[in-house]
Amino acid sequence: MKTSEQVVITGAGLVSSLGRTTDENWEALCAGKSGIKSISGFDAGGFSCGLAAEVGKIDPETLGIHPRDARIMDTHAYLLMMASRNAFRNAGLDRAAFAPEDIGFYAGMGMVDYGNDDILPAVMKSLGSEGSIDYPAFYEEGYREIYPLWPLSMLNNITFCQVGIDLGIRGENAVFCPHADAGAQAITEGMRTIFEHRAKAVLAGGVSEKVSPLSIARLHLSGVAMTSIKTGSITYIPFSGEDRGTVMGEGAGIISLELRDSADRRGAAYSCMISGYGHAFGLAEAGPAPSAETIGNAMRQALKTASLSPEDIDLIIAHGDGSVFGDLNEAEAVTAVFGKRTGLMPVFSSKAALGNLFAGAPAADIILGMQMIEKGIIPAMIPDKYQRSQHAAEAPGPVTGEAQKKELRRIMVNCQSYEGQAASIIIGTVT
Amino acid sequence: MVLRETAKRRVVITGVGMVTPLGGNCADTFENAAQGRSGIDYISSFDTTGLPCRIGGQVKDAWLTDQGADAFSRFERYSSRGLRLMHTAAVEASSQAGLDTLRDRERIGVSLGSHGENVSVGEMSELLRFYDGNGHWDMNGLLSSCRYSPFQFFLRKADTASSILSMLFNCRGSSLSIVSACAAGAQAIGEAYRIIQDRKADVMIAGGCEATLNFMGFIGFVLIKALAEKYTTPQNASRPFDRKRNGFVMSEGAGAVILEDLDHARDRGANILGELLGYGSSADAYRITDTHPKAEGAYLAMANALEDACLTADDIGYVNAHGTSTVQNDLVESLAIRRIFGERARSVPVSSNKSMMGHTIAAAGAIECILTLMGMQRSVILPTINYENRDPKCDLDYVPNEARHLPYRRALSNSFGFGGQNASLCIGAFEK
Repeated sequence: MKTSEQVVITGAGLVSSLGRTTDENWEALCAGKSGIKSISGFDAGGFSCGLAAEVGKIDPETLGIHPRDARIMDTHAYLLMMASRNAFRNAGLDRAAFAPEDIGFYAGMGMVDYGNDDILPAVMKSLGSEGSIDYPAFYEEGYREIYPLWPLSMLNNITFCQVGIDLGIRGENAVFCPHADAGAQAITEGMRTIFEHRAKAVLAGGVSEKVSPLSIARLHLSGVAMTSIKTGSITYIPFSGEDRGTVMGEGAGIISLELRDSADRRGAAYSCMISGYGHAFGLAEAGPAPSAETIGNAMRQALKTASLSPEDIDLIIAHGDGSVFGDLNEAEAVTAVFGKRTGLMPVFSSKAALGNLFAGAPAADIILGMQMIEKGIIPAMIPDKYQRSQHAAEAPGPVTGEAQKKELRRIMVNCQSYEGQAASIIIGTVT
Repeated sequence: MVLRETAKRRVVITGVGMVTPLGGNCADTFENAAQGRSGIDYISSFDTTGLPCRIGGQVKDAWLTDQGADAFSRFERYSSRGLRLMHTAAVEASSQAGLDTLRDRERIGVSLGSHGENVSVGEMSELLRFYDGNGHWDMNGLLSSCRYSPFQFFLRKADTASSILSMLFNCRGSSLSIVSACAAGAQAIGEAYRIIQDRKADVMIAGGCEATLNFMGFIGFVLIKALAEKYTTPQNASRPFDRKRNGFVMSEGAGAVILEDLDHARDRGANILGELLGYGSSADAYRITDTHPKAEGAYLAMANALEDACLTADDIGYVNAHGTSTVQNDLVESLAIRRIFGERARSVPVSSNKSMMGHTIAAAGAIECILTLMGMQRSVILPTINYENRDPKCDLDYVPNEARHLPYRRALSNSFGFGGQNASLCIGAFEK
């Protein structure tokens, strides 16, 4: 491929429970740390799943966000803002002579939930004698208790627009929702935009949902939440066959994309490029996950787009969210695509340490993958114990025990939803 | 990388479907719009007592095709009203395009602008019975009460509609959910167009749906004072570009287009209705509540769509405006159109379908794209009704009150979203 057609990654911003910069995240990951702990943001005593990887309270003042703006922002908004600002600066876009309309922005956004405290006064003011809502009271008076701009904050695209305003970027854009495939779609579309010269630089990635009673309840009711461990800092183990279920994480990842020639001209540093991508849909018969065939289709498409064969892939950063059917089907798909190489193929899942970042996961995994390529290290996913999946005899083998040193040229990043969407993105060294 | 094997693929439209306050399908909607009829009335879907705006554009339940449909019944528990509207539109579009006959289902995708359903007041009060107001939830109590269906949580999710649509129509390619507010429908079509151009699919069901005529969906726009509050009759409340406009009218609806690679459509002998020539998006990057005063974002979206289509403003014969009937939008959009068309601006017909059907939010971009195409086929430009008082700051040809017979081959359709996300589609008659 001509260098003029290569889409390189010139900047990255990663915020998660492990740290607020890419370096902090990488160091914590290499040190075997996990951000998964008992939920502290609210009393999760009433829930049967009590673990999450939370980022803790973020003070908007420290981010220089005006209190007026902060009133319609929440954790997810601060995370996207931080990751986007970091990627923007890291790529030198604050110094580049690109016009605002030449910088595009694509993001996957998690669900935005109603903050109970925001609407509670209106409801309380409208309670009838038997504890039910007195509708006329609500309609005529109660609703006035709601902050007038509060409804705006419930629109999924408002956070995205706030970040665009903060960075002053006006280029091509779209917002996808709400799972990992949405984050992958954002990166894919960002890449297409660069490739087709519709923007000179693009920020792309996504953000997780806020860990809240509603988001935890939604995960639980989807039947994919881990419920066997309620407290402590024990990580779950994707593909392990035990302690099944996913754990929510808070975080955002944003990467900056640019044509290699453009990056060279302005002296922007890069080490990796996006080589290929694939997307497919097909819900498994048995449970909330894409079928093995669907996951395999997305992986094969990514290889085809990149003009690569399975032998060219050195590492899989799996979706590996720990859910029963997700892991099972992904293991089957990896086996189907990689054949005899499956047992030799190292597999990593960041979710054991960062939790499930949903739409934020693909960019987070790409950023961690870039670190792995640059440093030639695959961090140990599970520091101590590991038990091979009972479901798939040829399940991929997570890196356990010690971190591995390995020269990595190309990494496949897998992403899935619980509704049937699957996506794969391949990143590689720039040659 | 084989991102693009040869030149850009041409993307044509081979099926259209819609359900709107003006009709249960494309033909009825277009006919009523051509007659300048309004689909706006007092809202009956929820009690609007005490609210300063009590009108909207509702879709008649009798128009929905999912009633008794076997395929739909297994998804009923997860299905929002928005999805039911979308299903109706998609059935019309897919049957026109003959989607059933296609064998390679992995090459068919879905791209949908959809926001999920709003929580109801009843649900909130039910939920709050298990909340002590200090951060403590009795989740086990809630689940064991059996009074709150867990499926309510799925109705909230934006991707439920796109995923179920993929399943109902057996589409195994990309399945996207786009949530860019009022620009979502146009962006969903634009993204689907890009996916076909990129050879990642041959056919896409694209469009948008919205059903926000319920308390929580409505109240937000009441609170930000975006809705029309001064009107003598419901039918004259939506008055885009008129000096006395004072807000938009909230409506529900859905629109679906079948986009297809030209060669694919030709090979199977599909009836080609028109061509999607270009798509442009942009951001205002100005203020979260206001559009850019110099129309920077709106201008860029149209300019990008024209550039993408390799056309200039001189090639455009009609603009289907976003035209919401808010003071700000109509002013800024007129300015953007003046910037795009320059000296020709006043001679290019510009009209707003929202004058007749109100604002269907995520569905608007799709519905208006289809009406533009239908007008092109019939040499009819749909009117802007309720245009009575000229606004000196809005000085374009808004096709006031009566449809106009005028042939045109290429048009722009605008959609601008809350927060400042903008999209413009360039639609053309099919030329071999």
